[in-house]
Amino acid sequence: MERRRRTLFDILDEYFSRAERIFESALESGWDEFSSCIEPLSNVFVGTSDVIITIDMPYVDRESVRVGVHDDVVEVLARTEKPICLDEMGLRHRRGRFDSYHTVLRIPVPVDKERMETRLKRGILEIRLPRVA
Amino acid sequence: MSEGMAFVEKVEIPKGSTLMVGLPDVGLVGVIALSHIVSSLKMEEVGSIESKMFPPIVVLHGGVPKPSIRIFAKGSLLAILSEMAIPASLVIPLAEEIVNWASRKGVKLILSMGGMAVQNRQDLDKPKVFSAISERGLEKHLNGITESLEEGYMVGAYAIILKRCSEIGIPGITLLAQTFFNYPDPEAAAATIEVINKILNLNIDYSDLLRKGEEIRLRAKDVMRRTQEEMVRMNKAQEYDVPAIYG
Repeated sequence: MERRRRTLFDILDEYFSRAERIFESALESGWDEFSSCIEPLSNVFVGTSDVIITIDMPYVDRESVRVGVHDDVVEVLARTEKPICLDEMGLRHRRGRFDSYHTVLRIPVPVDKERMETRLKRGILEIRLPRVA
Repeated sequence: MSEGMAFVEKVEIPKGSTLMVGLPDVGLVGVIALSHIVSSLKMEEVGSIESKMFPPIVVLHGGVPKPSIRIFAKGSLLAILSEMAIPASLVIPLAEEIVNWASRKGVKLILSMGGMAVQNRQDLDKPKVFSAISERGLEKHLNGITESLEEGYMVGAYAIILKRCSEIGIPGITLLAQTFFNYPDPEAAAATIEVINKILNLNIDYSDLLRKGEEIRLRAKDVMRRTQEEMVRMNKAQEYDVPAIYG
């Protein structure tokens, strides 16, 4: 089979795709310096009657936690009780200063968002969403 | 030597030592506990484990590059501590080589520190520490200190360490503290040190782990995330399963 000759656009497209992947993987650590936001560790557990989502947010300001459920995603926003600075963690080459958490998680099964329950203990937010048939 | 793994020793390793192992696993219990022990006892860095199969990672400490898996020693205590998530493909060769090396060095006991993920961890004020042993008779070290795991699955490096200990006859004990699956857990690490103090007759103060818990959780977030990716690859969640055959 004759191979199509790659055009300049194909080469540029490939280059930008690769650059985008590298950039995304650099941001994977979840410390977003541009928005001063940390993407927290999270876990989605699908039980027989509930979906239980937990989110680990050390130093979270409990009064600031906001949880929203839209279609099949849950979005959590919260502020930290004090700014978290990378240089205070011994990193001299980065100047990140973080004051909030933000994450968006997909809910893998249908849930009743009206019966959502949340609790925060030791900086870990638990969101319990009853499943619907 | 397998998979091109080399144990680099800067000093002579004394015979008859107890080797403590802390590798990234659920809750990062072993890494948090052992790094606190190494620091509290001011253990000296005496070597490292090197392999061209490892990811190209060094850790900078005090501006100096350090290997990701280091060996520490003080008196008759040895420690192997990893600061990088172990790639799933290297878990078996690394774990086996740790035990083989310990055997060559005449280690008398391998004490591994890990975690056991439980769903109700958030409701436990003080996590319990369980133990698994490589051979009958080791219970005497643990009587009244930990509850032993009699049935169940273990998945990962500590499972292989225990199996290899059993195969070549080195006494091996794995401590498994109740913990979160994928959140760093300084409280579980503190509970583990409390048990280590009793087994090895030490007096390590672990109050810092409780006091600075939030800071530790935040600092360990990225290692935890990388570790979680590897745990998924090695089907770590199988530890929740109930074995089909009893006894």
